[in-house]
Amino acid sequence: MGDRVRSFQFSGEGFVPPSTADFNLPPAFGHSEYTTKPVFLVFLSIIVVSAFFIAASRKAAIVPSKLQFAGESIYSFVRHDLGEEIIGHEFMRFVPFLFTLFTFVLTNNVFGIVPFLQFPAMSHVGFPYVLALFSFFIFHAVGIKKQGLGKYLRGIAFMPGVPKFVYILLTPIEIATFFIVRPLTLSLRLFANMFAGHLLLLVFITGGDYMLHDSHTFLKILSPFSFTMGIGMTFFEFMVQCLQAYIITLLTALFIAGALADEH
Amino acid sequence: MASNDEGALWSIFGYLISGLLIWGGIGMALDHWFDKGHHWFTLGGFLLGMGASLYLVWLRFGRE
Repeated sequence: MGDRVRSFQFSGEGFVPPSTADFNLPPAFGHSEYTTKPVFLVFLSIIVVSAFFIAASRKAAIVPSKLQFAGESIYSFVRHDLGEEIIGHEFMRFVPFLFTLFTFVLTNNVFGIVPFLQFPAMSHVGFPYVLALFSFFIFHAVGIKKQGLGKYLRGIAFMPGVPKFVYILLTPIEIATFFIVRPLTLSLRLFANMFAGHLLLLVFITGGDYMLHDSHTFLKILSPFSFTMGIGMTFFEFMVQCLQAYIITLLTALFIAGALADEH
Repeated sequence: MASNDEGALWSIFGYLISGLLIWGGIGMALDHWFDKGHHWFTLGGFLLGMGASLYLVWLRFGRE
């Protein structure tokens, strides 16, 4: 970012709007794409999440400390609102996965607005793809284990109580929904939200910077508006980041619940 | 029940997309294959897919 901003000031060629190039950060060292910022942020998020919940649960007391209360609130939110409410009586088996997914995605998303970190790793589509693959394999495995392979696939492909010839029309849609659209929308929704959000912040903040340093007096006067929008959008982003972490976990729970249910 | 409604919302969304993708895709493939210079199969495919997925949504969520 520092180099970008400086290059605006001296180039004098007008404002260069942020683009996808701003997401391909150079490697921190060496030439490997495994030493870029998003990779480090993902590892950092694992450390942060682990450290937070170890600290929150280490001295479990009946009268909880503030830290313990915070940790338990997040846990009970995932366990109750996303696990028990949606999956039903078998929910306890899936709580560890849902909890990991939620906290991992939430932390990585919020990194997008934490000063100096300021990059959501999920704006690189590879990370959401992997998360969606986990959900995909888990909810299909759960369904196959619960109902048997044949019965599970028949349940997906053939809707009961429909004339036979209609299956030609409906079966391809059902199969595409369960095997292509579900994992794809799960990952693309998260990716697109994080990508667009980061781009939005870049527009307002680098735009404000350009207006302040590198343009007419008239635009200099207007630049505070751009910064104000940038700050407003940062709060908006925080909401989106939490919401997207919630939605990917919610949908995973819903898919698991659907796979566990005998009849759709 | 709120969570179930939310689940239904996303399932419906998924069905509508895959209906369009599958039957629209088949229509486009047919047009490409026959190469007659028109796109009636694509149009028909999209309409068929839309109709089929709406029917599917009705079967899944509107029947009870």
